[in-house]
Amino acid sequence: MATETLSEAPRLGPIFLRSALARGPRPRTLPNTRLVLSDQGVDRARLADYQRLCGFPLGDTLPATYPHILGFALQAELMARRDFPLPLAGLVHLANSITVHRRLTAQDVLTLTVYAEALAEHPKGRTVDLVTLVDVDGHRVWEGRSTYLARGTPHPDAPTRGERPGIPRSPAAAHWRLAGDLGRRYAAVSGDVNPIHLHPLTAKLLGFPRMIAHGMWSYARVLAALGPLTSGPGTSQVWFLKPIYLPSSVDVLIAKDAGHITAALRSPRSHDTVHLVLRHERA
Amino acid sequence: MTETCRAAIIGGNRIPFARQFGPYAEASNQDMLTAALEGLIARYGLVGERVGEVVAGAVVKHSRDFNLTRESVLGSSLAPTTPAYDIQQACGTGLEAAILVANKIRLGQIDSGIAGGVDTSSDAPITVRESLRRKLLRVNRGKSPVEMATRLLALRPGDLGIEIPANSEPRTGLSMGEHMAQTARRWAISREAQDELAMMSHHNLARAYDEGFFDDLVTSYLGLSRDQNLRPDSSMAKLSALKPAFGKGDHATMTAGNSTPLTDGASVVLLASEQWAAEHGLTVQAFFVDGESAAIDYVHGDEGLLMAPAYAVPRLLARQGLSLQDFDYYEIHEAFAATVLSTLKAWEDEEFCTTRLGLPGPLGSIDRSRLNVNGSSLAAGHPFAATGGRIVASLAKMLHAKGPGSRGLISICAAGGQGVVAILEGA
Repeated sequence: MATETLSEAPRLGPIFLRSALARGPRPRTLPNTRLVLSDQGVDRARLADYQRLCGFPLGDTLPATYPHILGFALQAELMARRDFPLPLAGLVHLANSITVHRRLTAQDVLTLTVYAEALAEHPKGRTVDLVTLVDVDGHRVWEGRSTYLARGTPHPDAPTRGERPGIPRSPAAAHWRLAGDLGRRYAAVSGDVNPIHLHPLTAKLLGFPRMIAHGMWSYARVLAALGPLTSGPGTSQVWFLKPIYLPSSVDVLIAKDAGHITAALRSPRSHDTVHLVLRHERA
Repeated sequence: MTETCRAAIIGGNRIPFARQFGPYAEASNQDMLTAALEGLIARYGLVGERVGEVVAGAVVKHSRDFNLTRESVLGSSLAPTTPAYDIQQACGTGLEAAILVANKIRLGQIDSGIAGGVDTSSDAPITVRESLRRKLLRVNRGKSPVEMATRLLALRPGDLGIEIPANSEPRTGLSMGEHMAQTARRWAISREAQDELAMMSHHNLARAYDEGFFDDLVTSYLGLSRDQNLRPDSSMAKLSALKPAFGKGDHATMTAGNSTPLTDGASVVLLASEQWAAEHGLTVQAFFVDGESAAIDYVHGDEGLLMAPAYAVPRLLARQGLSLQDFDYYEIHEAFAATVLSTLKAWEDEEFCTTRLGLPGPLGSIDRSRLNVNGSSLAAGHPFAATGGRIVASLAKMLHAKGPGSRGLISICAAGGQGVVAILEGA
């Protein structure tokens, strides 16, 4: 695989614009490219904003989800290119997994690597995995895998990947009210300015009745609620099932077992509407 | 009930203290207390552990932080089944928390506990003027929109404005510095003596950092790994050039250099029974022997605001059958350099000791080379409720190095004319 080293983090606004304007045929296979961004220090002001917005205590520990927002610009850059088989605009974040090998802190200087793999058929179109690797001093400290769906020709016989855990049967452990500006605030911190999160009108343009919360925000918010152990060594997997429209409120369901925790967000009004299921396992 | 065991001090942790509006400007009390707790948990392997009780507090506190300590515990890696409660005794908060935890351990009610404190002078609660607050509450009580609107009309431009907590005494309207200036004058504390104490505080703290003394007492936070206020190159020349900040005329001796600045920070201390420590494979550094608090009448000018420890110490000494000279280390909190010097002078003063303390003679002087040997609040800063934990953890470590049976005395003055003092013994 060819390694392409970037000198600075790509800016997401121009990438989304470029992908929205892109026309023409696309290749059938994934690009054979790894994007690498070396020696990235942590911007403490941005980290503090992220911690506040996602419910983590303000401190030196990087939330398990934090490296994802650093790598997301590389993901978007890779997917916005003409040699990428799926269009970036309209991609749906289906699932994500993150493995923390050691607790990361704001002092760490990170090297990020991003590549795509596992292009596959899906009942509603095609999916692709974007893998993000983080190294510190030559050691692998963090791995993330984001699965995106491009809606298209249905493949009804395609196998669904990964067994997701059942919804905890417990009563709601918490009830969160999500403000209407949550998408804009998370976009400002994460750089993910996908219009479906920003304004009811831009969301409508892309086929959503209202704007929706970032999946990665809800992932981070649930990890924050599960406590500081989720920032340490371990693996979390999340399945994004139904969008959370903003503003709204969600019930938080949590089930703890030996060594792992399952959590879910569901609508307080319609209990069948489950937005997200998450499973965290300590290393 | 009989005393069943001694209260052991295992160790402590704090975040470096930052100056007001410095690197911790955006950090809340809960953020800082959680960070200090997490460092302690990591150092002593307490992840998932149910500790008997966590007791801490803050002096400057938002009303939403009514359960500050419990919320910090829930945000930490301690077991969520760890109970916690908040206390507040101004600058005595941290040491009082340690006394409470130690007493429960000694009574066998808990076998482990964490005492601490936190304060922010940056992320301060803002309140509206009292007149506006009362009028708004009246509006809110209105039974109809018309009644509410009528009551709103009572608002006047003068009601608008915000209030930020100030470092002043509610009953006298004087700032702590102004109170201290009166006491400094009463005891004729010279500018030079105050500057010298301040310089020594900086030099001692800098040396302690250089020697690695704080390596297992401090966890870096938000990019700070040493106390921000520390000036290793502090000198008499620099200190004597500063203009007085409190007092008037020739008697104005107190400057920004020999007074503690407003700071942000948090500290925690782990205490336990000896059995708990042994079961967890942890070394006991010192024992919490005894504590005492005192208060004086500063409202009617009877005594200086920060002189209460001068009264608490002799009572504690009498109970323990000790003299003021029986200590290897003295930790006298440097609210102001003049506070320490006035207290020491009072103990040397026959008239004060006989008439005020009711003693047969003066308590006497102390060996000044044993005073605040690793620096104190003038250099480190003084996030009010965090000072007690800073001192207890540092002194316990010093006494452990000195050896079993060594003794240390802690003296902390507090707003409201109060003082909290304690004795630790090396293990």
